[in-house]
Amino acid sequence: MASLRTDSPVPPFERLLVANRGEIAVRVIRACRELGVSPITVHSDADVDALHVALGDRSERIGPPSAGESYLSIPAVIEAAERCGAQAIHPGYGFLSENAEFARAVEAAGLVFVGPPPSVLEALGNKLAARRSAAEAGVPIVPGTTVALAEDVSAVEEIGFPVMLKAVAGGGGRGMRRVDAADELAGAMASARREAEAAFGDGTIYVERMVAPARHVEVQLLGDRHGGLAVLGERDCSVQRRHQKLVEESPSPAVDEATRAALFESARRVAATVDFHNVATVEFLLDGEGNHYFLEMNTRLQVEHGVTELVTGLDLVAWQIRVAAGEPLPPDVLEATTRGHAIEVRLYAEDPWDGFRPSAGRIGAWCMPEGPGTRVDAGMTADTDLRPEYDPLLAKLLVHAADRPSAIDRLRRALDETLVGGVVTDAGFLRWLVDDPAFVGGAYDTSLIAERWAGGPPLSDDDRALAAFVALEARRLGVTTGASTPDGTPAPPGSAWGERARRDALRG
Amino acid sequence: MTDYEARIGDERVDPAAAWRIEWIDWAHGVARAFDGERSRLVVVEGSGTEWTVTIGGRRVPVTVRSWRERVLAEAEVGAGAQAGPVEIRATLPGLVVGISVAAGDEVDAGASLLTIEAMKMQNEVRAPRPGRVIDVAVSAGQTVATGAALLRLE
Repeated sequence: MASLRTDSPVPPFERLLVANRGEIAVRVIRACRELGVSPITVHSDADVDALHVALGDRSERIGPPSAGESYLSIPAVIEAAERCGAQAIHPGYGFLSENAEFARAVEAAGLVFVGPPPSVLEALGNKLAARRSAAEAGVPIVPGTTVALAEDVSAVEEIGFPVMLKAVAGGGGRGMRRVDAADELAGAMASARREAEAAFGDGTIYVERMVAPARHVEVQLLGDRHGGLAVLGERDCSVQRRHQKLVEESPSPAVDEATRAALFESARRVAATVDFHNVATVEFLLDGEGNHYFLEMNTRLQVEHGVTELVTGLDLVAWQIRVAAGEPLPPDVLEATTRGHAIEVRLYAEDPWDGFRPSAGRIGAWCMPEGPGTRVDAGMTADTDLRPEYDPLLAKLLVHAADRPSAIDRLRRALDETLVGGVVTDAGFLRWLVDDPAFVGGAYDTSLIAERWAGGPPLSDDDRALAAFVALEARRLGVTTGASTPDGTPAPPGSAWGERARRDALRG
Repeated sequence: MTDYEARIGDERVDPAAAWRIEWIDWAHGVARAFDGERSRLVVVEGSGTEWTVTIGGRRVPVTVRSWRERVLAEAEVGAGAQAGPVEIRATLPGLVVGISVAAGDEVDAGASLLTIEAMKMQNEVRAPRPGRVIDVAVSAGQTVATGAALLRLE
C-alpha cells in the first residue's frame, strides 16, 4: 500500500482554498488536514452555518445563496483565494470543477488549479469533440453522430430508434433524453436543449444509438505532471435514475479479466489524446456481449471516488493535491492493485416512491453507520435546513469487505444503522436494493430502477402495524417530536419539546 | 386511556402487538422498538393527529385520532367538501421556470400546469383532477416557498 508521506516531508501547499460545499468540501478539508495544508472554505449567505464552514480554518463569503452568484462565480472565488493567501484551489466536483475558463483564471492569478490543465478541460468538456478524438484514437464509441444535431433530423432516423439525445456540454444526466420513436423527437429535442441551456449555457445536442441492456462502467485515472499515469481499477455505476448514479461498486461484477484489460487500454488511449495530469474518469457503456463503448471523460474528482480509495488504499484527494504541487507518483501508486470489494450508496433527499422527486425541509434526526469497513462522507448533520439552491446529496455511505457478498451484508447492516428524520430520503430504496435478487446476483443493468423498483413495493403488513404502534405510542406520550411539523415547515428547535416529554414521562 | 385509532392512508391499522418502545433521542423522535426477538430503529415525528414514522428508510404518514376527533372528521367528510375549487400549492421551494396554462384553460388530470426548478431539477406540477384554471398566482422567474399558492382549479 502506498504511503502518503514517504517522499513528502513538507506540506505541498501552506493554504488551499476549497471552492465547493457539502460533503465534497468536507472530504477535501480532511485531505488537507492529513497533508498539513491549511484548508480555507468559501460560503454563500445560505451556508454560513454549514458543516464545511465549521471544519475549515477560516471561511470567505463569496455571495448570495444563488449558486450562479456564489459557487459558480469565477471572480468571487478567485478574490476569496487572493484575500486568504491560498496558493491552490480545489474545485471539488460540479460547480466550476470542469470549467476551463475558471482553471485559466486560477493560473492567471498565479495560483495552482487542483485538477487537469485547462487545455484538457476544454478538449474533453465538449463531449462531441471528445467522441471524435476517442474514435480517432481507436477507442470504440457508441454509434451516432459526431456533429451537432441540427433542425434537420434525418441523421437520427438513419441511426435508428431508440436513440439517446445528449448535451455537448453535458454532465450529471442533464440535457439527456431517451427517444423511442420519430414523433417524440421534436418534443424531446426541445426539452433537452432547454435543460442543457439552463444547466450549461449551451443547448447544443448530439445523438447516440441507445445501447440496451447496458451497464455503466468507468475507469479511474490518476496522473502526475511527469508522464506517470496510474489506472486505478473500474467502478460499476449501473444503478441509476434520471441517468444519474445512485450506487457504485468496484470491481464491476460484469467485468472479466479480458474486458478489464480492454477497458484499461481504451482509458489510456483516451487520456493520451490530451496532455493529461491529476484525476479523471473515463466512462464507458458495456453491452451484454462484453463490448465497451466510450461515453465521456470527466476531468475532475468523481462523487464516487471513495469506492476506488477503499479498494486501492489510496487517498485520491491527497494525491490530487500532491501532483498539483508537482510531485511525481511513486512506483507503488503507479502499480497499485485492488483488494476486496467496495460499494457506495448515495443518500439523497428525494422520494423513491414518488419518482425520486427531490424533497426539501429540515433534517431532524441524523444517525450514520459506523463500524468495521464502513465509511460515511457527509456534508450535513442533524437540524440542518436543506437549501433548494443546491444538490440534494446528503451523504455517501461506503463499505469495504473481502468480496462482493460480504460487502452487501455489510451494506445491509450499515443501512439498518442509518436514520434520517425530517426529510424524505432514498434510504428505503437503498435498503430494498440490498435484498433485490438482481442486484445481489450482480446481473443487473441500467434499467434496474425503471424495471425492478418501478414505483416501489407496497408497505409490508408488519411495517404498517409497527408504524401504527409507534405513532400511537408517540401520541399517547402527548409530545411533539422531530424537527419538522407535518406540513413540512420548520419547527423551532425541538429540545424544549424533548425536555417536556422527558418530564412528562418521569411524572407519568 | 384515551381510545386512539391509527390510520395509514384510508385504512385503519391495528398496532403491532407485543412491541415495546425505548426512546433514544426525544427531541428528534428517535426510538428503538422491540418485540422480544427483533429490534428496529425508527423515527417518529409530528404532533396532534398527524405523525410520520420512518421505518426501514421509508416515511409512513400515520393519522392518530381519538374517538372524538374521529367523529368530527367523519362529519366534515359527510358535509361534502368534495367539489369546489382546488388550490394547487408548491410542495417544495424553488424557482418557477415555466407556466403551461393560463386562466380559463381546461386541463385533464395529470396535465402539466407549471415547472418549478428546485435542487437543480425541473419539477412538473400536475393537475390532481380535471378542471378549469381559475387563475395563476405566480409568474415565470418568481421564487416560491413551500406551501405557496400557485394556481386554482375549478
